Amino acid sequence: MSADFTAQSTPPPVVQVRDMDFSYGASKALFDINLKVQYHRVTALIGPSGCGKSTLLRCINRMNDRVLSARVTKGEVLVKGKNIYDADVDLTQLRKQVGMVFQKSNPFPKSIYENVAYGLRIHGEKNKSVLDEAVERSLTHAALWEELKDRLHANALALSGGQQQRLCIARAIATVPDVLLMDEPCSALDPISTLKIEELMHQLAKEFTVVIVTHNMQQAVRVSDYTAFLHLGKLVEFAPTEELFTNPREKLTEAYLRGTFS
Amino acid sequence: MNSLPTPSRPPLRSVLLRSRKHTILGFDPQKLIKYFFGSNASVAIIVLVLIMVFLLREGIDFLPTYQRELQTYRRAGLEFCDIIDQPLQKNQTLSSSLRQALSASLETLSKTARDRRDAAFLLKRQVEDKSARPRESLAQALEKAPQDPGQIDVLRRELGAATAAAVKAVDYPELFTQAEREQLEREFAALTPEVTDLPPMLQTLVEDFNVKDREAKTKFADLVTAQEEFEEAAEPLQEVLDELKAKALETKEKAVEFEVLETNRQRLLEAAATESDPKEKASLTKEAEESVAETVNLEESIKEITGRTAELREQVEKYAVVIEKAAADLPKDAGTGAARKLVNDVREGIPVHAREMRAAAAKLEDWHWDKPVSIFSVMGAFFFGTQWITNSSWQDFFGFVPLLTGSLVIAAIAILIATPVSVVAAIYTNQFASEREKELIKPVIEFIQAIPSVVLGFIGISLVGNLIKDVSEWSWLQWVPGFPIQERLNMFNAGCLLAFMAVPTMFSLSEDALNNVPRAYIDASDALGATKLQTVFRVIVPAGISGILSAILLGLGRVVGETMVVLLVAGNRIAIPDFSAGPGVIFQPAHTLTGIIAQELGEVSRGSSHWQALFMVGIVLFAISLLVNWCARAVARRFEPHKA
Repeated sequence: MSADFTAQSTPPPVVQVRDMDFSYGASKALFDINLKVQYHRVTALIGPSGCGKSTLLRCINRMNDRVLSARVTKGEVLVKGKNIYDADVDLTQLRKQVGMVFQKSNPFPKSIYENVAYGLRIHGEKNKSVLDEAVERSLTHAALWEELKDRLHANALALSGGQQQRLCIARAIATVPDVLLMDEPCSALDPISTLKIEELMHQLAKEFTVVIVTHNMQQAVRVSDYTAFLHLGKLVEFAPTEELFTNPREKLTEAYLRGTFS
Repeated sequence: MNSLPTPSRPPLRSVLLRSRKHTILGFDPQKLIKYFFGSNASVAIIVLVLIMVFLLREGIDFLPTYQRELQTYRRAGLEFCDIIDQPLQKNQTLSSSLRQALSASLETLSKTARDRRDAAFLLKRQVEDKSARPRESLAQALEKAPQDPGQIDVLRRELGAATAAAVKAVDYPELFTQAEREQLEREFAALTPEVTDLPPMLQTLVEDFNVKDREAKTKFADLVTAQEEFEEAAEPLQEVLDELKAKALETKEKAVEFEVLETNRQRLLEAAATESDPKEKASLTKEAEESVAETVNLEESIKEITGRTAELREQVEKYAVVIEKAAADLPKDAGTGAARKLVNDVREGIPVHAREMRAAAAKLEDWHWDKPVSIFSVMGAFFFGTQWITNSSWQDFFGFVPLLTGSLVIAAIAILIATPVSVVAAIYTNQFASEREKELIKPVIEFIQAIPSVVLGFIGISLVGNLIKDVSEWSWLQWVPGFPIQERLNMFNAGCLLAFMAVPTMFSLSEDALNNVPRAYIDASDALGATKLQTVFRVIVPAGISGILSAILLGLGRVVGETMVVLLVAGNRIAIPDFSAGPGVIFQPAHTLTGIIAQELGEVSRGSSHWQALFMVGIVLFAISLLVNWCARAVARRFEPHKA
């Protein structure tokens, strides 16, 4: 670690994937992935369907654990310097540090307030004023406070699709994670809602580190600082977004960006 | 691209015209198939409507029939007698409590003596049973006219050996000391057919008991007198009442006979009026004339009864005074333990009873024989009546409450047991079980449904009943209300079995409900770092709660409608359970709505008031089932989180 430090002269990455192989049973899904995610930056993962970008994202908070045969077969994933696949890692704490927002908005069938407070409640927070404060802060971050402050106890399922997705973001950031993973958060939304969430992402990057999977290259350009391009389970190129889109080093990247294949 | 030939289009007219090629009897086959499927679906609806119509047709006449019967009941004076007779029943209850208290009190002194006496007699019989064969042979040999001394000697020796062996083999209880045991052994060994007197030891034991019993009776003399006084007190009143009852019954029978003949006559006259053949007509008219019965002058008969109101009231007053005196004579806190409680209950019960009797006597004045019975009071008598009495020589009552209480209490017990079991099992199977466990648990639970309910009834009678009774006698469980239980067949037993029957329905539906909770909720909860238990109890169960509630309600519907098990196991006592026993009430027997129909419908004559009453019960049962099912659907809708 210390060698990395001096060599790069940048702060240590919050997430670092090192030489990682990942497989579902016998079929290998990811090959030898190396990725560094920097603090307070938005990192986008792009690539054609089935290239493993969602799998890679889910490796960072071990959501793949639920798939019985899924294994990291080589290498490691470090979050704040700790390999999260070590036996002594507490999954509950890991997921408190690494929040996640899903492709389709999935608020619980509870009130708006309870949705946001859920993360804190399961981590044992009972103090009403702490919860109130966290709900207000999270909803403000998710640009929902002004819209919803008068009906915090309405059912979350009564909200519009875009509001629901922003509520899910608020719920994910209520526990103040270091990293926020977003798995195609806008793919089910209309353009206006998408715009709102993209605006939100710039704000969020001030407080959190964001890793976003997207199939929309324009979105990657608009929101991200770094972009990783994956193809068939391999990380083809990882570079600052501007550089990757204007001056790709790899032929494959260039071909993908030009739309020769998808 | 352009080289591909374009297929030629048919002319417009023929495309738009409907093809008339295939028709069956002028119908399009597509439509026929549609009608066929539709008619099959509607069969269910038609059958349901038919069931309702049939039930209503048979049952709806019940109210007017019952109204007529109650009218006769009143006009013949039976109701008048019941005003006094009903509260007087309490006399029996109090009196039996008093008897129990008395024998319990006497036992405190004489129990050991009695136990020793009974044990000695039991031992004697055991010894005699074990040596029965040689004893019998010897007795026969002795009875023969020319006695054969040699054979008798042999038989005597055989009997001696058998008796000695038997004496050694029986168990002597701890009640006897070593010396007494030896004496008993000696005396039993000396038992021969010639000895007719009791062995001296047994005689002593009998005498001991008699002494103790006399002692006890002297000690509890006031209790003995109080009990006797109380029992005799009702006799003069009962005598007057019996006379009146006999008179009323006679009147009622005449009235009923008159009504039957009168109806018959009307029917014959009607037939005669429509008959065209003059010969037939004449014979019908003649028959009708013969069918005339002696008209009953109800007013006159009733005067004979009401004329003695003053006498009856006087007797009631006397009775009340006597029993109040008896209550005052009852020693306070007499006896020990259970006896003391019984005596105190009676002491408190008697003044209440006396007050009730006086109130009843006062009511006699307000009673009028010709006050009409309104249809509302008939409905009240059915829906709120506390007595279901049929085939009575006095009066049939069709009161619905005892059956309803039985059904409801049993259903409540069943649901209280089945809900936690099936919901917890569903949560486990759905959320925690491995695939292999799921493959085991689900079919096994669903298999329960395949067990015929009559088989469960067997299990209830032979196994669960005995088990509950045995458990209820364990000394360290005596704090449980109602223990030790009296009846093996009771509401708790039936409730347990019904719970078992309801589990598959409730389990499967709850499991479905949990299964229908969107995967996305679980993902979200997991991603926030919730543990499995937190996800289950904070997200999955709340999200599936509507389905679980509706599963419980459908289980309730199944339980209320179940017949065979309750008929076999609930004990079939047609009375409102005694709720004063507290939670222990569940160990009392009861009858149910379903059970009564199954039990009685085969035995009643078609069209009688009893038959109609059973159909009324069927209608109410049907209504309850519909209501429960409707509630289940409403709950499922009410709590369903609206889809985004």
